[in-house]
Amino acid sequence: METPTALQNILYMPRTSTTTESNKTGSWRFLRPRYEEKTSPCSAACPAGEDIARIEMLITQGAFKEAWETILMENPLPGVCGRVCYHPCEGRCNRREFDAAVAIHTLERFLADAAARNETKPALPRQPATGRQIAIIGSGPAGLSAAWFFNILGYETEIFEAMPAAGGMLRWGIPAYRLPEAVLNAEIARIEAQGVRIRTGEAVSAARFEEMRKSYDALFLGCGYWRDRPLDIPGAAGPGVEDGLSFLREIRGGVKRDVPGLSAVIGGGNTAIDVARSIIRRGGRAIIVYRRRREDMPAFTEEVQSAREEGVELRELLAPVRIDAGGGDCVLTLQPMAIAGQDRDGRGKIVPAAEAPVTITVQRIFTATGAGAAAPWHNPPVPGAPGAICSLSHCVLLQDDRGAPVVYGGDLATGDKNVTQAIASGKQAALALDVFFRHGAGSMRERLASCLVGGGPSLSLEIYLGGPRRERNAHIVTYEEINADYFQYEPRVVQPRLLIEERHSSFDEIELKISAHTAMREAGRCFNCGICNGCDNCYLFCPDVSILRSRDMSDRHIDYEYCKGCGLCVVECPRNAMTLDEEGTP
Amino acid sequence: MKKVLEGSQAVAEAVRLAKVQVISAYPITPQTHIVEILSDYVTSGRMNAKYLRVESEHSCMAALIGAQSTGVRTFTATCSQGLALMHELLHWASGARLPIVMGEVNRALAPGWNIWSDQTDSLAQRDTGWMQLYCEDSQEVLDTTILAYRLAERVNLPAMVVLDAFFLSHTYEPVDVPEQEEVDRFLPPYNPVFILDPKHPYSLSPLVTPNAYLEMRHDIALAMEDALAIFDEVEGEFARILGRRYGVVEEVNCDDADIIFVTSGTVTSTARLALEELRSRGEKVGALKIKLFRPFPVEAVRRALSKAWKVIVVDRNFSFGASGIFAQEVRAALCNAPGHPPVFGYIAGLGGRDITMQMLSDIYFEVKRSEAPRRESVWVGLQEVKRAT
Repeated sequence: METPTALQNILYMPRTSTTTESNKTGSWRFLRPRYEEKTSPCSAACPAGEDIARIEMLITQGAFKEAWETILMENPLPGVCGRVCYHPCEGRCNRREFDAAVAIHTLERFLADAAARNETKPALPRQPATGRQIAIIGSGPAGLSAAWFFNILGYETEIFEAMPAAGGMLRWGIPAYRLPEAVLNAEIARIEAQGVRIRTGEAVSAARFEEMRKSYDALFLGCGYWRDRPLDIPGAAGPGVEDGLSFLREIRGGVKRDVPGLSAVIGGGNTAIDVARSIIRRGGRAIIVYRRRREDMPAFTEEVQSAREEGVELRELLAPVRIDAGGGDCVLTLQPMAIAGQDRDGRGKIVPAAEAPVTITVQRIFTATGAGAAAPWHNPPVPGAPGAICSLSHCVLLQDDRGAPVVYGGDLATGDKNVTQAIASGKQAALALDVFFRHGAGSMRERLASCLVGGGPSLSLEIYLGGPRRERNAHIVTYEEINADYFQYEPRVVQPRLLIEERHSSFDEIELKISAHTAMREAGRCFNCGICNGCDNCYLFCPDVSILRSRDMSDRHIDYEYCKGCGLCVVECPRNAMTLDEEGTP
Repeated sequence: MKKVLEGSQAVAEAVRLAKVQVISAYPITPQTHIVEILSDYVTSGRMNAKYLRVESEHSCMAALIGAQSTGVRTFTATCSQGLALMHELLHWASGARLPIVMGEVNRALAPGWNIWSDQTDSLAQRDTGWMQLYCEDSQEVLDTTILAYRLAERVNLPAMVVLDAFFLSHTYEPVDVPEQEEVDRFLPPYNPVFILDPKHPYSLSPLVTPNAYLEMRHDIALAMEDALAIFDEVEGEFARILGRRYGVVEEVNCDDADIIFVTSGTVTSTARLALEELRSRGEKVGALKIKLFRPFPVEAVRRALSKAWKVIVVDRNFSFGASGIFAQEVRAALCNAPGHPPVFGYIAGLGGRDITMQMLSDIYFEVKRSEAPRRESVWVGLQEVKRAT
């Protein structure tokens, strides 16, 4: 036999013209990867349950309108919240463990500002009209939020507002340097454009309220805490002592009164800070007197910091005991306090110290030690009262034989009294009543529980309406689950601010705008925890070409005929948007 | 035209003259000059070629396997750690019968981290199915690189042209650079047996069962035999046009020699000088330079060495647990020849240490005094070392 040699140039080489697809390597698989989006910690921390990971992804893509609409699905007031929300989202941002949290609130504000500047009209899905009418008492954040969500769910809504303009505490309680009037007006105008009717200058009395229970299908009571809690010490009712909330309302109402000299502000909440900083802008000096320590203040840390920057003095562990008027001045007597153990809420428990009282002499005193409902009937019924009472996390539902069901919301029903909790309250009220009307009171808790973001307490309208977010696993993505190899250190955006000197002379907004370019860069820092942003690491790393993409690259799925279950895609997914299961597990 | 060139430049000139179409490489000392020059040639348009930058030598060889499969002539250069990283794909290139040519600069493997000359890197790849051609000077480097393309493309096997780090890669010597027209006459355009072509799609190298694998490997063995068989013919064509030839081995004063040194690479030049000196003192000594290591020229080695009384193999490499690698090969070539001379193995110059004339002369006299080798390998010039306690 003649030995064939390579020199004959007839190579004995394996090759095939049939596709190697005949080898169905999927049969080797015992681990099964799949796309499974999960919950980002920021979205679970947001009282409004905003889909933050997706919002930041859309910003990165320059899809500002879609990002803004994604907020509006869960929160009708991004321009407000981008400014005054205490952004608990950033406190839970996984990026904190890498370098610094994403400036989520700055981006929210950017989207709202961009939409306002371009007069963008949102295209949101509205459910078919139900024919039911809802009366909403109070146009603060809770009432506006309730109206917004009722409207999307197909209800006719009417807001009754006692003041001459809508907005509640947003308009009368928060100073303009934090929330400019134009921003609030734009937000309210958009809510009205969506079909919400707002009747200003129409206070609702208890009697009128009872009448309304006969003519509407449901009522939402969100008229807030408007009555200042008076200081219960001698001289508190005397001359030179003013209520802080009224002072703020007066300024927002356009009264230009100077408050020269030194003023004392008693309290440790956000109102105390707002009053003190407003005094600075009205030509005075301010000293905040607080009976606990600085770290115990309910005021937002950043607000306290800004007040200190602007020259507000803070004196802690001093409890007011009496006020004496004399020669146009007020003499405030203060008892030094000491910490002895802990209160139930974890703050230091205070007791009078052994030291003698001290006095300070000021031109006037503002009290900001808390507020309450303006009328007793505003308060939700306590357990044991007549009727069926359903207490939810952010509102209380009353159903009795006097008429249509009533939902008590906003400050009247929430624990933490702030804008975002009020928005959450309005949303919860709308969803709860929608379940009530469609399925009855009995299935309310169960159905609401199925719309929680990451196990709650935040609710999502998108989940309620069966949107794509419903498919997400409630598991909250941790930093350990992020493949940090795919991210680089990048400084957090620093929002430009007015100079201290500029702040002393005006109520102009302190925080200035950022450019679209800056916003996109900041959004690019977001890990997009738990959601697919189309990075295609799965596609690139798959050794079996088993990641199939749709023609427009928007959709990916796994070709299980060939996927060997190596799990590379899951490991290389930077954001835990994939899951690896053992084959055969349900 | 004669030019004064570095060994690295000689490689690059040969690649340019061979009209290589795709180059891919990852820079590594002491190979870097070669690919620096080539990238410059590609960028400046002196070569009509594509230069693929890669993130590793493994990817580099993978890229060349793909490129060569489409029917183009390719080149890479590497050394040491880089060659080791290519290992898996070296097998693939030969198994897929792709005549890729590589410039391999012999450099020691780490640790200790060492950039100097040592043959263990290329010799550790001896079983990958690549032809290996060791060079003594820069002229031989240039000529062998051009010749390697002709040889590789005739038998459809890849080839490594091996040169010593620094002693060749970074040393300037006069080199006769041929004209393009001369090279074109010797080296026709690459005429592939098969090519990957999207117009007629098929896939290469699918699963091969035990039914066919043995035969595929046998074909490679045959191709190696063919390469050995046609080497003289191919080199004859080269010599006809360019006037130079080297042989699979070169015998230096072997005819009447009682003791013959076996060398490879630049040590051969040192051996030539040592021989002159020893011959002038009446010593009957010769040298056998091995140029072609794979396929190993068994017959030529036997022919040259069988008349000698003793054989000395100087290895600048070592196979741990065995011996110098050239010594192994020489022993294997001789063992079936009746009455063959004993082989004395010497290990010298690892990691770039100098192998001097004096060293070779000392080895010669030691062997002359010895009846038989005391051990398989004698390490030359070992120094006292201080060890950590």
